[in-house]
Amino acid sequence: MKKKVLAVLLSAAMVLSLAACSSGGSNDGGDDATTGDGAATEEKAEGGSKDYSFQMIVKSFQSTYWQAAIQGVEQAKSELGVSVEANGPANESDIADQVQMLNDAIEKKPDGIALAACDTNSVIDSLTKALEAGIPVVCFDTGVDNAPEGSVIATIATDNVAAGSVAAEKMFPVIEEKVKAATADAKVRIGEVNQDATALNIQQRGQGFIDKMLELCTGAGKKVAVVGNEFYVNGTKGAVAEAEAEVIIEVGVPAQTTVDLASTEAQKIMSKDDTIAIFGSNQVTAEGVITANQTLNKLSTDPEKGIIAAGFDAGTPQKEAITNGQFIGSVTQSPLMMGYEAIVALTKIADGESVSDMPMDGYWYDKDTMGDDNIAPNLYD
Amino acid sequence: MGDIILTMKGIDKSFPGVHALDHVDLEVRKGEVLALMGENGAGKSTLMKVLTGIYKKDSGTITYEGKEVEFKNTREAQDVGIVIVHQELNMLGHLTVAQNLFIGREFKKGIRIDDKKMNEEAKKLFDRLNVDIDPTEMMANLTVGKQQMCEIAKAVSFDAKVIIFDEPSAALTEAEIEEMFKIIRDLKEKDIAMVYISHRMDEIKVITDRVTVMRDGTYVGTLITEECTKEDIINMMVGRVIYEEPKTESQVPEDAPVVLKVEHLNAGRMVQDVSFELRKGEILGFSGLMGAGRTETARALFGADPKESGDIYVNGKKVTINSPQDAVECGIGYLSEDRKRYGIVVQKTVAENTTMASMRNFMKGIFINKKKEAEVADKYVEALATKTPGIDQQVVNLSGGNQQKVVIAKWLTRNSDILIFDEPTRGIDVGAKNEIYKLMNKLVQEGKSIIMISSEMTEILRMSDRIIVMCEGKKTGEIDISEAKQETIMNLATRECE
Amino acid sequence: MTNKKTFGRLKGREVMVMGIIVAMIILFSILSPTFRTYTTFLSVLDSSYYIILMALGVTFPLITGGVDLSIGTGLVSYGLIGGYLIVTMKMPVGVGIAACILMGILIGLFNGALVALMDLPPFLATLCTCMITRGLGPALSESFGVSWPSAISESGAFRKIFKFTTAEGTVIPIGIVFMIILVIIMSFVLEHTRVGRYTIAIGSNKEATRLAGVNIKFYHVLAYVISGFFAGLAGVAYAATYATIYPGSGAGFELDAIGGAIVGGVSATGGVGTIFGSFLGVIVICLMKVGLPFIGLQANWQQIFIGIILIAAVLVDVIKKKK
Repeated sequence: MKKKVLAVLLSAAMVLSLAACSSGGSNDGGDDATTGDGAATEEKAEGGSKDYSFQMIVKSFQSTYWQAAIQGVEQAKSELGVSVEANGPANESDIADQVQMLNDAIEKKPDGIALAACDTNSVIDSLTKALEAGIPVVCFDTGVDNAPEGSVIATIATDNVAAGSVAAEKMFPVIEEKVKAATADAKVRIGEVNQDATALNIQQRGQGFIDKMLELCTGAGKKVAVVGNEFYVNGTKGAVAEAEAEVIIEVGVPAQTTVDLASTEAQKIMSKDDTIAIFGSNQVTAEGVITANQTLNKLSTDPEKGIIAAGFDAGTPQKEAITNGQFIGSVTQSPLMMGYEAIVALTKIADGESVSDMPMDGYWYDKDTMGDDNIAPNLYD
Repeated sequence: MGDIILTMKGIDKSFPGVHALDHVDLEVRKGEVLALMGENGAGKSTLMKVLTGIYKKDSGTITYEGKEVEFKNTREAQDVGIVIVHQELNMLGHLTVAQNLFIGREFKKGIRIDDKKMNEEAKKLFDRLNVDIDPTEMMANLTVGKQQMCEIAKAVSFDAKVIIFDEPSAALTEAEIEEMFKIIRDLKEKDIAMVYISHRMDEIKVITDRVTVMRDGTYVGTLITEECTKEDIINMMVGRVIYEEPKTESQVPEDAPVVLKVEHLNAGRMVQDVSFELRKGEILGFSGLMGAGRTETARALFGADPKESGDIYVNGKKVTINSPQDAVECGIGYLSEDRKRYGIVVQKTVAENTTMASMRNFMKGIFINKKKEAEVADKYVEALATKTPGIDQQVVNLSGGNQQKVVIAKWLTRNSDILIFDEPTRGIDVGAKNEIYKLMNKLVQEGKSIIMISSEMTEILRMSDRIIVMCEGKKTGEIDISEAKQETIMNLATRECE
Repeated sequence: MTNKKTFGRLKGREVMVMGIIVAMIILFSILSPTFRTYTTFLSVLDSSYYIILMALGVTFPLITGGVDLSIGTGLVSYGLIGGYLIVTMKMPVGVGIAACILMGILIGLFNGALVALMDLPPFLATLCTCMITRGLGPALSESFGVSWPSAISESGAFRKIFKFTTAEGTVIPIGIVFMIILVIIMSFVLEHTRVGRYTIAIGSNKEATRLAGVNIKFYHVLAYVISGFFAGLAGVAYAATYATIYPGSGAGFELDAIGGAIVGGVSATGGVGTIFGSFLGVIVICLMKVGLPFIGLQANWQQIFIGIILIAAVLVDVIKKKK
């Protein structure tokens, strides 16, 4: 059973180039738990210089994730003086509702539409309609890979491979000494807990971390093996057999996406004496690491004292873990920036400028940067 | 003989369409065993249910220990000492004997149930009754006989003054019955009054003091057991006026071939070594009392229940029937006594029920040929004069008689040549009954053969060409209709089983 | 085979399940050195509390011959509502816990009314409440996940009910002590009070129990209330053990509890079962869930093995019955 918030994040994290596998629709099949209705907000441009009016369709309206995106939109509105009408279904699985809203938006003949599609295949017909009506579309959060030629002008979405590798880049300097000291007889182990091996964005994120970590360790002159979940073992290039390796990257995937199973996977890895670091690649698995530590008490920000840990996304427990020194930090996506950039792109298009796809980074945050203006709004409870 | 403890006078009770009790009288004395006899449906159980408050009487009086009483439920009757030992055992198999005895009135120590005391009390009770049962044994592990003893012990433990035994021996072995009689005699000594409902004539003679006979919901009379013969009792039981003329002789031609032959059929205790033949165009009546094993025989024959041994020949050819499907393939159709459970699918339409047993003939590829289905259903609605607004009517909306016709149509559609009618007119009103009878006669004239299981003597005598009588799982007689008399049949049906 | 109840002594089934537990521990310990640690033991316990609580409760409906499918989504829903009161409404933790348990009792009453008073089949009735509770928690809490106060925060003391960390950092799983106390209490209720006696009686022969003058409706409803109450407690345990409760999760939790009860000897047809057996059965399930990853079996195998163990448990019953 997928969890609502995860579904939001999963969908949010889709990357354009690989978005052909529909994310929202398939990821939150079990979600019917959201509340609220597709409330619409309408804001008039406040005497800005440009009199553009845009339509924006999000995946759902209630989550903090999407509220952060709207916040970005507001920011763009006041800066650019455009008007944006935002709308979205009550639930991310209400695919048909969203398509209807998109069609309604096209009927209104706006200067442009920003779209986060719940199901990438379901919006194709509407995009064709938009193309025929000459309305430019910018996809944000989730790309529509097989969109009709010319309908989607630009896509603004998180690059999950990059977001995963950010965690590796930030983690490596902390454990570098340990890695360098490793030998084939005294191996060190770096763990990763992934929610599952089937959702594309999580796969990319997990693989992004593994590949970057492997690259960094190899760069430090070490042989690296990848063990655990077959999918990642087979998906990694440049790894050696476990016996000859000096560094082991172990990937655990729980059978279901529940915190208890995620924590068992984390515990399995953290129980091993040679483990020096662990990465939870989304909110549930990061919390699994935290739960496992309640029993093991092994996490530390000092590699000499314990295991180094990093997480992904936000949520109170993870933020607390960073504040009290269990996690060195986490990676967050930026719904705010995506919302902001979507409107900026639409405005540029309306101005006749050319725009291109904009892969968004994952943002690293730690104890010190949590309160920063460009980070804090993305860190929901 | 002791004083009168219980008198029921002029008890009247009607259910919709049935006058179940028609001013019945009953008198029970302290320290006696009163047999209550009568055919199935004579009203014995209804009378006892009125007494113990399960049914409310329409009129009449019940006087118990000199006072007029009316109980609202069994609990109230129990509280003053009238207890019923049911035919079906009310056992809680997963609890111990002692826990069963005191269910609903446990001894307690604070909030804790005092199992120790319950075991002791149960032990005392069993000692008093001279039975050897371990109170801590799980009820499910006891034999049926021992369970029955527990039921009796439970009745006694209520300080019962009147105990009603509703066919207590139905499931017991001879030895167990003997043991039960010992207890009953003991209870007699203690001045407890007992009403003993049973069909077993031999038991009646052995254990009871007086016999009250009921028939068709009326009181017939009371005899002193010692002074009467078995035949006296039977005459009182069957002495009804028969309105419909019974068949006088078999309508089956001399040279009619045997279509079904059953040899040495065995299936549990209720079907022991049963053999018979059925000829083309014959209605073979199966008579006997409730629990004689007639339905069980039919079900074993039809493959609905597993059988231990026995050969079945259809049209002279030996066949293997291990499931209803096999039986249907052999051209046998079974019209269950419990239509709602086994005969029809009440939520489906007349048409759907009609074709249910022969779906294969109504398929067009993977689709059901609705047109053909409708044609056939229409045909049988007409042929059987089924009263229904249309073939799309759900069967649940039809009357009992018309439901039965739909079941018949189902088997006719399947081209079944041998039809087993199990209590074909149960729950059907008189007019519809006659129609079913006419239909059965028409079917045999057309060359079908019918096995008819019936507990109604008049039905057996009116419809059958030949009668097989069963008693306790055994075939006890076979009579041609020309020689059949109610008394003979009743004699065979209540035959003492060695 | 005898079903003889031997109060104060163990039943054959319980001894058998204990044997399985010992065998599993030995097997996992041989195959995985890391399994043989105190922390793994803690982890098994951690993952077992909410399932044990559910199993203690659901044993009652199971013994009546019914089932309660609403406990899994129920506990998540109650945890969300309780958490909502604490985190969003800023109420004391005690209020959240009370709300959690109260919600469980209310849903239990609702289930009981559907089954015992309105004669709905238990499977169907509780399947419906399973769906209702799945939506109810998120609807009332309007949230995407609630994190009850963490152990280090001021109001997180309730988490220490289950796991107490000493100043030196040693973790003491006192939760298991409470579980054992509850097992003893509920065993007493099932075997030595009217509530338990009539629960078994209803599962054994409802009509006969009614004829014995027992108010079966009351006791039948009560069985579901007990189940709901423990689902509420399980909600608290879940909130105390894990960081965040996510809406939409919970479906499938009940299967661990029901499966555990059945492994422990509760008959799917009613009448038979013990609290201690259910407890042991849950331990088997939890050992599987924690142990199999430790010996390197990929996650999906856990489900397959648990399924196989369940089939084996039910088969043992069927074979026994045939004898």
